[in-house]
Amino acid sequence: MRRGSIVQLIVIGVLAGAIASAVALIPDWLPSSASREAGRIDFVFWFVTGICIFVFSIVTAVIVYAVWKFRVKPDDDSDGPPIHGHTGLEIVWTAIPALLVTAIAIVSAIVLAKDDAAGANPLRVNVYAQQFFWSYGYPGYRNKLSSVLRLPVNRSVVLTMHARDVIHSFWVPEFRQKQDLVPGIHATLHITPDKVGTYPVICTELCGFGHGLMRSRVVVMDSTAFEKWAEKKGTS
Amino acid sequence: MTTAVEHHDVGPVRQGLPPPPGGLRRVLYPGFLRAAWMTPLFFGIGSAIVVLCRWWGGWHPIWFGEIIVLVGALIAAPIGFLAGIGAFDYWVRYSIGAPTEPEDHSGHGAYSWRDYFRVNTDHKVIGMQYLATTIFFFLAGGLLAMLVRAELAKPGMQFFDNQTYNGLFSVHASLMIFLFVIPAFAGLANFVVPLMLGAPDMAFPRLNALSYWLLPIAGIMMLSSFLVPGGAFASGWTGYAPLSVHQPLGTIFFNMGVQWAGASSIMTALNFLVTIITMRAPGMTFWRMPLLVWANFTTSLLVVIATPFIAGSQFFVMFDRVMHTHFFDVGGGGYPLGYQHIFWFYSHPAVYIMMLPGFGIASEVISVFSRKPIFGYRLMALSLMAILVLGFSVWAHHMFVSGMAPWLRVPMMITTLMIAVPTGIKVFSWLATIWEGKINFATPMLWAVGFVSMFVIGGLSGIYLGAVPIDIHVSDTYFVVAHIHYVLFGGSLFTIFAGIYYWFPKMTGHQYNEKLGKLHFWLTFIGFNLTFFPMHLIGTQGMPRRVSDYAPQFGNWNLFISVASFFLGASTIVFLYNMVISMRRGAPAEANPWRALTLEWQVSSPPPVFNFDEIPQVVGNPYEYGVPGARHAVLNGDRAATETEEVRH
Amino acid sequence: MSAHAEAHHGPPIANHSSRVNASILGMLLFIASEIMLFGAFFTAYFFVRVVNGIPWPQPPFELPVFVAGVNTAILVTSSFTMHWALQSIKRGNRAGLQAGLLLTFLMGLVFLLTQAREYSRVGFAPHDGAFGTIFYCLTGLHGAHVFIGLSILLFMTIRAFRGHFSPEQHHGVEIGGIYWHFVDVMWIVVYSTVYLL
Ligand code: HEM
Ligand SMILES: [Cu+2]
Ligand SMILES: [Cu+2]
Repeated sequence: MRRGSIVQLIVIGVLAGAIASAVALIPDWLPSSASREAGRIDFVFWFVTGICIFVFSIVTAVIVYAVWKFRVKPDDDSDGPPIHGHTGLEIVWTAIPALLVTAIAIVSAIVLAKDDAAGANPLRVNVYAQQFFWSYGYPGYRNKLSSVLRLPVNRSVVLTMHARDVIHSFWVPEFRQKQDLVPGIHATLHITPDKVGTYPVICTELCGFGHGLMRSRVVVMDSTAFEKWAEKKGTS
Repeated sequence: MTTAVEHHDVGPVRQGLPPPPGGLRRVLYPGFLRAAWMTPLFFGIGSAIVVLCRWWGGWHPIWFGEIIVLVGALIAAPIGFLAGIGAFDYWVRYSIGAPTEPEDHSGHGAYSWRDYFRVNTDHKVIGMQYLATTIFFFLAGGLLAMLVRAELAKPGMQFFDNQTYNGLFSVHASLMIFLFVIPAFAGLANFVVPLMLGAPDMAFPRLNALSYWLLPIAGIMMLSSFLVPGGAFASGWTGYAPLSVHQPLGTIFFNMGVQWAGASSIMTALNFLVTIITMRAPGMTFWRMPLLVWANFTTSLLVVIATPFIAGSQFFVMFDRVMHTHFFDVGGGGYPLGYQHIFWFYSHPAVYIMMLPGFGIASEVISVFSRKPIFGYRLMALSLMAILVLGFSVWAHHMFVSGMAPWLRVPMMITTLMIAVPTGIKVFSWLATIWEGKINFATPMLWAVGFVSMFVIGGLSGIYLGAVPIDIHVSDTYFVVAHIHYVLFGGSLFTIFAGIYYWFPKMTGHQYNEKLGKLHFWLTFIGFNLTFFPMHLIGTQGMPRRVSDYAPQFGNWNLFISVASFFLGASTIVFLYNMVISMRRGAPAEANPWRALTLEWQVSSPPPVFNFDEIPQVVGNPYEYGVPGARHAVLNGDRAATETEEVRH
Repeated sequence: MSAHAEAHHGPPIANHSSRVNASILGMLLFIASEIMLFGAFFTAYFFVRVVNGIPWPQPPFELPVFVAGVNTAILVTSSFTMHWALQSIKRGNRAGLQAGLLLTFLMGLVFLLTQAREYSRVGFAPHDGAFGTIFYCLTGLHGAHVFIGLSILLFMTIRAFRGHFSPEQHHGVEIGGIYWHFVDVMWIVVYSTVYLL
C-alpha cells in the first residue's frame, strides 16, 4: 500500500470516529443518574462505547475506502489479485477482539459484583406486582404498605420481588437497575439512591393488556423525612 | 424414512403430469379439490375423537370448544389438507405394500403455472414456492408493523385498544421470524444448494415437498388468530408463561403454528444435511464447498438440535392451558422460569438460524462481485462451526434480569461476548475480500455491503447487551428492539434481498431491472437507518418495549420513527414492482451473468429439470477468481481436461 | 423455458459422496431431533424435581414400579425380536422376518396397553400437581413414540407378508428397526428417571 492511501484511510477512520463520537456525545443517551449503581453502570456503558467507536471507525474506514477506490471501471472485466488469506492478519483480528471482549467481561463482572453487594444494614422493601399495579411493603416498619416507593437517600436498599400473577419487571431508568418479578421466585435488587427526587417505575415485562400502563413512582427523600413518613401509621 | 428417490430405476420420462381424470374420479385426484373435502372431513374426525374421548372419560362439557379448535382445526384439519393435496399419497401406498407407481418423473419440474400450486418434488419449484409464500407473509408482517407504528406515532391511544395492539406486534414478530426469515433462507437454499453440490435434487424430494406445504398452514394459522374471539395471540413472539397460559383462545394458534413451522424447518434441515453429506459431486470435498453450503450445513445442524426445544415449550404451555397441568404454575409445584430456559435454548440458536445462511449468501456475493477469492476460506467455515457450538452455551443472556440463579450471569456473559470473536472474523474477512477487488456495485453487491455495515452496528449493540450491567438497564427496552432490527432487518433481510437479486436471473431466466434494484436498496437503506437508529436512543433514555403508550417525552422521536417507517414500508413497493415486471418482461438472462464459478451458474438459466445432464466433476475451489487457469468444476464434454487435471492434484 | 425442451431423459445418477446410506442417515438425524424433544421434557422434569425439589413420588401417590418393570422387560425383549427379524431377512429367511416383526409388534402392543391400564389405575391425573404433570407428560410422550413405532412396525409387517424385502433390499426393515431400538432405549431412560430414581 502506498503512503498516500494509508493517510487517506486514517483520515476516513478519524472522520468516522468523530461522527460516531458526536452521535455518542451530543444527545443525552442516559437519563440523569440517581443511584450509586447507576454511576458504575454508566461507566461500563461509556467504556463499551469507546471500544465500539474504535471498532466502528476501523470498519467504516475500510468499507468507505473500498467503495471509493476499488470500484471497477465499466469496461474492465479482469479479476482482482488472487489473495487467499494471510495468517498473520487472521491471528490479529482474532486476538484483538478477543482481548477487547475480555476487557469488557472483566469490567462488567467487577461492576456487577459491586452493584450486588448491599451495604451493612440495608433498608428492606418488598415489591409487589400484580396486573397492573405496583405496591411496596416495608417489613421494617410494621409492614407498612404504599403505592409509591419511598426511599431514603444514600442508604443501601434491598428490594425483594413478589409477583402475584404473571411475570413483571421492575425498572427505574434513573437507577439503571432492573429485575423481573416471577411468581414463586423472590429475587432481590440492590439500589443505593443518591439523589433526592421523583422518578418513574416502569414495568418492562409484557404482562397483559395493561402492561403499557403499569407505572408507579419512586420518591427519594432525605432520611429524616423518610423516617417521619415511615413511622406514620396506615397505608399511603 | 424410506423416501430417497432411487433415481436410476426409472421408467419412461414424461413432461408434466397427465391431465386429471374427468367426472367424479376427479374428486379423488390429489389436488385442491380433494383437499376441499378432506380438510373438513378430518376436522370432523378430529372433533369426533375429542367428543368420544370426553364422553368415555366422563368429562364435562362433552363439547368443549377450545379442545375442538385445538384438535379438530389446528391438528386434524391441516393433516386432512396435506392428505388432500397428495403430500402423503406415495407413503401411504408404500406403507401398505401396494405397488408404487413407476416413477415417470412427471411430477417433477414446472411446465405451467399450475405446477407451482401442487405437491411438486422438484427442489427448484419448491424453492420458488417457498420464496413466494414467505414474501407473502413478509408483506403481511410488514403491514402489521405499519399498524404498530401508526399507533405509536403519538403518545396516548390512537387506533387500537391495548390487547389488539399486543396482538399486532406479536403476530408481526412471529410472522417475520417463523414465516419469513427462517423459511426464506430455506427457500433460497432449496433452490441453490443441490445445484451448488452438483446433485440432481435433494436427498428426499417428497419430504421436501411436504416441508414446504406445512408452511402456509402455519402462516394462515397465525394470521387467522385475529379472527377468533379474544383476538390474536398477544404475549409476544416469546410467549412467556405463565402469561401465555391465561390468554384468550388466539394463543393456541401461536402454539400450534410454531409446531407446524418448526416441523417444516426440522424436515428441511434434515434434508439439507443428508443431501450435503451424501450427494456431493465427485471431487466436492468439504473444503471445496461454497460457503453458502457450509452455512446451510451449520444452520441445519442448529435446526435439528434446537428446534425440538421450542416445540417442547409450546407443548407445555398448551398442556397447562387445556389439561391444567402445572409446568409453569407455582401453586402446583411448577417452575415459571423453566419456560424461558427451554424457549431460549431454542431461540438463541434460532437467531443464528436466522443469520448464518445470510453469512453464506454474503460470502457468495462479495467474492463474485469483488472478483477475488474469499479471504481466509477455511477460517470462514470454521468460524461458522464455532458460532454453532458457542451458540448453544449462551441462551441465558436473554435472562440476565429474569431472576434466574445469579451465578449463571457471568459465565453466560463470557460465552456471549466470545461469540463476537468468530463473528468479527467473518466481518473482517469480508472486508479483506473486498480490499483491492474489482468491485462491481450491482444490486446484490449493494445489499451485501449494506449488510456488512449494518450488521456491524447490530453486532456492536449486541456487545452492549452482552455486558450484564448494561443489559440490566437496557433489557426489554427499545434498545433491544433496535438491536434485533439491526441484526434481523439489516442482517437477515438485507442478505435475503442480496440473494433474491443475485439468483433472480438463475431462478426466472430473466434479468431484473438494475435501476429499480438500486433504487430499492437506497430507499430501504436510508429508511431503515432513520427508523431504527433512534430506537437505540429512546431505549437507553427509558422507553420500554411492547407498550402501546409511552411517556410524552418520547413523542417527538416516535413521530419521527413512525414517519420514517412508512417511508421504509413504501420502499417495498419498488421491490415488488421490479420482481413482477422483470419476471414477465425482463431481458432474458444468460447462464452466467455474474461470471461466477460455483456450479449453479454453469447450467442454463433457468436450470434444466434435472439440473445436470451428467454429474459434474469438481476439480478445485469455488472462489478462484484471478487465479490463472483455475476451475471449480468440469461439466460434461470436458472430461479429457478433467483427467489431466486430476492427475496433477 | 426452452431449456426444458430437451430434458427427455431422467435425472443423472447422483454421486454417492458418503458410505452411509441416505435413508439411514436421515433416520439417525431424525432420532437426534427426537432425543432433543425428550431433552426438553427432561429439562422440565429437572426444574420440577431438582430445582423445585418436590417429593418424588409425591405422597400420597405411589408409582407401580414393579408392573412398569415387567413392562420394561417386555419392551427390551421386543428389541431382540426386532433384531432377529432383520438378521433373518438379511439371510433370506422370510418366515423369520415375518415372525420377528409380528412378535415385536405384539410385544409393543402389550406394552402400550399395560401403560394405558396403568394410567387408569395409578390414582392421579396430569393436573394433580407438578409430579402428576411430569409423570404423565414424560411417559405420555414416550407412549406416543411407541404408538408411532407400532405404526411403522405394522406397515413393515404388512409389507413383509406381501412379499416385500429381500436380502439385498431391506433398508425398510433396518430403518424401522433403528427407530424401534431408539424407542426402547428411551424407555429405559424414562423408566430409570421417573420410576427408579
Ligand atoms: C455479536 C453478536 C450478538 C450479541 C453479543 C447479541 C447479544 C444479545 C443479547 C444479550 C440479547 C438479549 C437482550 C435482552 O433481552 O435483554 C439479544 C437479543 C436479541 N438478539 Fe442478539 N446478539 C448478537 C447477534 C444477534 C444476531 C446475529 C441476531 C439475529 C440474526 C440476534 C437476534 C436477537 C434477537 C431476535 C433478540 C431479541 C429477543 C427478544 O425478543 O427478546 N442477535 N442479543
Ligand atoms: Cu408489565
Ligand atoms: Cu441470544
